[in-house]
Amino acid sequence: MNFRKYLLILIPYSWLLLLFLVPFIIVVKMSLSDTEMAIPPYYPYFTLSEGWQGIVNFFSELDFENYIFLAEDNLYWKAYLSSLKIALISTFFTLLIGYPIAYGMANAQPEWRPTLMMIIILPFWTSFLIRIYSWMGILSQEGFLNQFLLWIGIIDQPLTILNTNVAVYIGIVYTYLPFMILPIYASLEKLDISLLEAAIDLGCNRSQSFWLITMPLSKAGVIAGCFLVFIPVLGEFVIPDLLGGADTLMIGTILWQEFFANRDWPVASAVAVVLLLLLMIPIILFQRSEQKQREAEQ
Amino acid sequence: MKKIMLSLMASLMVSTSIASAAEVRVYNWSDYIDEDLIEKFEAETGDKLIYDVFDTNELLETKLLAGSSGYDVVVPSASFMERQIKIGVFQKLDYSQLPNGKNLWDLIKQRTAKYDPDNAYSINYMWGTTGIGVNIAKVKEVLGDDAPIDSLALIFDPKNMEKLSACGVHLLDAPGEMIPAALQYIGEFADSKDPEVIKKTEAVFEAIRPYVTKFHSSEYVNALANGDICVAFGYSGDILQARDRAAEADNGVEIAYNAAKEGAVMWFDQMAIPADAPNPEGAHKFLNFMMDANNMAAASNYVYYANGNLASQEFLEEDITGDTAIYPTPETLKNLFTTTAYGSKEQRTVTRLWTKIKSGT
Amino acid sequence: MSETDKTTCFEPWNEVGKKPLIEFRGVSKKFGALTAIDNVSFSIYEREFFALLGPSGCGKTTLMRMLGGFETPSQGQIFIDGKDISTIPANQRSVNMMFQSYALFPHLTVADNIAFGLKRSDMPKSEIAGRVDEMIKLVQLGNLGGRKPHQISGGQRQRVALARSLAKAPKLLLLDEPLGALDKKLRQETQFELVDIQEKLGTTFVIVTHDQEEAMTVSSRIGIMDQGKLIQIDTPDRIYEAPTSVRVADFIGDVNLIEGNATTTANDKITIDWAEGQPALTAQTTANIKDGTKITFAIRPEKIAMSAKRPDDALNAIEGHIHDIAYLGNISIYKIRLASGHMIKAQAANTRRLSRRNYTWEDKVWLSWTETAGIVLTK
Repeated sequence: MNFRKYLLILIPYSWLLLLFLVPFIIVVKMSLSDTEMAIPPYYPYFTLSEGWQGIVNFFSELDFENYIFLAEDNLYWKAYLSSLKIALISTFFTLLIGYPIAYGMANAQPEWRPTLMMIIILPFWTSFLIRIYSWMGILSQEGFLNQFLLWIGIIDQPLTILNTNVAVYIGIVYTYLPFMILPIYASLEKLDISLLEAAIDLGCNRSQSFWLITMPLSKAGVIAGCFLVFIPVLGEFVIPDLLGGADTLMIGTILWQEFFANRDWPVASAVAVVLLLLLMIPIILFQRSEQKQREAEQ
Repeated sequence: MKKIMLSLMASLMVSTSIASAAEVRVYNWSDYIDEDLIEKFEAETGDKLIYDVFDTNELLETKLLAGSSGYDVVVPSASFMERQIKIGVFQKLDYSQLPNGKNLWDLIKQRTAKYDPDNAYSINYMWGTTGIGVNIAKVKEVLGDDAPIDSLALIFDPKNMEKLSACGVHLLDAPGEMIPAALQYIGEFADSKDPEVIKKTEAVFEAIRPYVTKFHSSEYVNALANGDICVAFGYSGDILQARDRAAEADNGVEIAYNAAKEGAVMWFDQMAIPADAPNPEGAHKFLNFMMDANNMAAASNYVYYANGNLASQEFLEEDITGDTAIYPTPETLKNLFTTTAYGSKEQRTVTRLWTKIKSGT
Repeated sequence: MSETDKTTCFEPWNEVGKKPLIEFRGVSKKFGALTAIDNVSFSIYEREFFALLGPSGCGKTTLMRMLGGFETPSQGQIFIDGKDISTIPANQRSVNMMFQSYALFPHLTVADNIAFGLKRSDMPKSEIAGRVDEMIKLVQLGNLGGRKPHQISGGQRQRVALARSLAKAPKLLLLDEPLGALDKKLRQETQFELVDIQEKLGTTFVIVTHDQEEAMTVSSRIGIMDQGKLIQIDTPDRIYEAPTSVRVADFIGDVNLIEGNATTTANDKITIDWAEGQPALTAQTTANIKDGTKITFAIRPEKIAMSAKRPDDALNAIEGHIHDIAYLGNISIYKIRLASGHMIKAQAANTRRLSRRNYTWEDKVWLSWTETAGIVLTK
């Protein structure tokens, strides 16, 4: 019995250890190294062949130089801040669009809900890259959107949308919308309809009952959705690369550049470690709110 | 050539298991060979050929630097290969196993020797130039019939760029290509490694940056072919690909490629054998196979690039040898120059400068 | 029982000219092809504690939800205080509802739940806290005002729901199975409390329940519903003692139903032929029944006497064998099989210890009752 209990705990912990902690320690270690044109392209390299002295030498070679470098060059701060801004704004718009969709789904006839759910999930069945490439086709100068707007006569010059931050927002909101809709839908669907009837019974009109009952009670879903969007968007790299323009500055792109273009694995690792630490804050907040929610439901 | 995401995905999919003696593992650029040649090689040698592809030099380099890539033959660009040779990524070629080496083109060998002295580590596969691709009709519409479509002034003169920004301009997101071009334009030594000289390009880019639609290293192929942009500074092969795609689609888009008359960067994709290749003997067999005049001609006929194999030229199709965008005239060839890789410290300066140029930060 | 006293002095439905608080006029409700309410007309008077009783799916909840404004009649009209309420939206009716699930707002404290309706009313802010305290005292919630619904017990939640629905002092309070979620002992206690509160406040209560005991305990009148129809409205004692139909008799309490043919023997007496070889039964009825009419004779088990020998003076006596005995503590129910195959239930109080019981399985017994013990039903 005891053995089984330990085994149950062991599985998730070893999973965490193997797939998160070990790689993370490697990245931290790399971030404390110096870049060098070698195989692998950094120094010191950890080996056990030189015995104890080798390990001591290894640790004495590590330093925080790369972090100091990050702090001194405003590029990185600007990239972090710009990512933060893009993540916040796109989370906001995803919520703005996602909430009404989730609300509509939750209030649809029960026999329609699986179909609606399917429509939301359906895009996941196509490759993410293909969907982003199609957005390039839609938003480009000669793309469908411009052609349509020109055709109905709203504009007489094609709009430049592709390769601007607007395109990045469109791409992010489009891609992450299901992550917002699904948790909100889950919380709205759970909502006991008699609570709304009670609110109306006690004198609320429809909008009051929405803001006083529906909204607070779907808060958990909204929070979950916001974190599910915000956290990955902060490190997003593909969408700004494909849809963004020269002005789009995101930390994911910088990370790529440091790793591949500069071959500076140590600085790239430092950027990644800082990004992870930044993400820890919302992740911890998210965990807390989840826990509070669980307690409230008991 | 740098479809970033595809390359990331490819890197996830490529296995690193160790090849057995009867296998030859080749890692080449995507869309860069006539697939019939793979079967032909297997039929002739009896070895199994495992052929994987990548999209960026950076990705290849990352694999090589991480070690134990498991490949027997890789195809880096010469400017990248130069520094890779220095840190011992490759093994010396055994020319006794490469009788077809006699077919190589001395002119190209001289140029590649700058990166790989005596061509000790590599042979040339394909080569080309970096230059200007234009949508002829659109550029003429904006700049008039005498638009300087074969001059660096087209992209570095703010007056031209301001007008062109309406129809869209893509520049390569590769400082190693763009900075030499800018240096050439302002009359500096294009391959300069002097940080002070390199910094002079900042002003050049600063003036045209507001008019650049995007800095990207692969999107221009589609964008140019679809008519979304009118000018792209990119690799000859990519722009020619865009030209052919537009012609196939018959969408009224006509693309032209020119290496800048002021001088253009010449690039070389080199075949080399990693130091830790599991099957160097098989690798030599493959190199020798590819240096066969007929085989090399077949590859060029398929991908529309110039190659470094003189003997193959008699088997090339006429629209390749006759296309000055592929095989430049001797005069143009004189104007083409080569660049070398930046050192580690210079590389950081250049990348930082490039980020600043791109983002204004 | 206090209810009995009450009904004797409080009978507004018998007062001539008394205006009802609520009046249903020919109300029907259809959900697609399904008729939930079928042409219902009845009245409820001020200060009444009215119970709608019926099996699930009989339409009682729909009827109540129409009063609350959550459903609209497909046909007919509903009046409150003489006004047609179809024009008044749910949030503006002086009607409040206590939901079966209580529908307490989980994100608000007990006090905020109670204050919820007051904050939406025109009550000055300064008075709200006082009113909330008053309600908390009324339902004896003590110092639980600051707790969230998930931090209190089921019985306490029920009180919060009651306090919340009463806070606005509605003219009419609707209670949808208000005690359904409580265990039996708590339910019985709460029933009496509910009656006390109703009497104290004088508010008209309409309760929906499927529990006949609950309906009998709390209400001044009961409306029995079946398949969308109101089949009888009467005081609890009359519903029990004088059901007007087989359905009501069968639904309320335990009853023996014997079918037979009636023959009038005197002004208010009939004899019933009900089985071959069995003596005809004699019963009193005020109804005018033609000879040969098929009727149902209903008699409650507790009205049947059991004896080992045939009682000499009994008007109705039948012989049978004890088929089964159900021991319920204070009473026992005996199932007696007659020679005709009928199964009759009789009830006896267990005044003696179990071991000294008079009858046991397969004993031959005589069942007897007076001519007024049962009811003759023609419907």
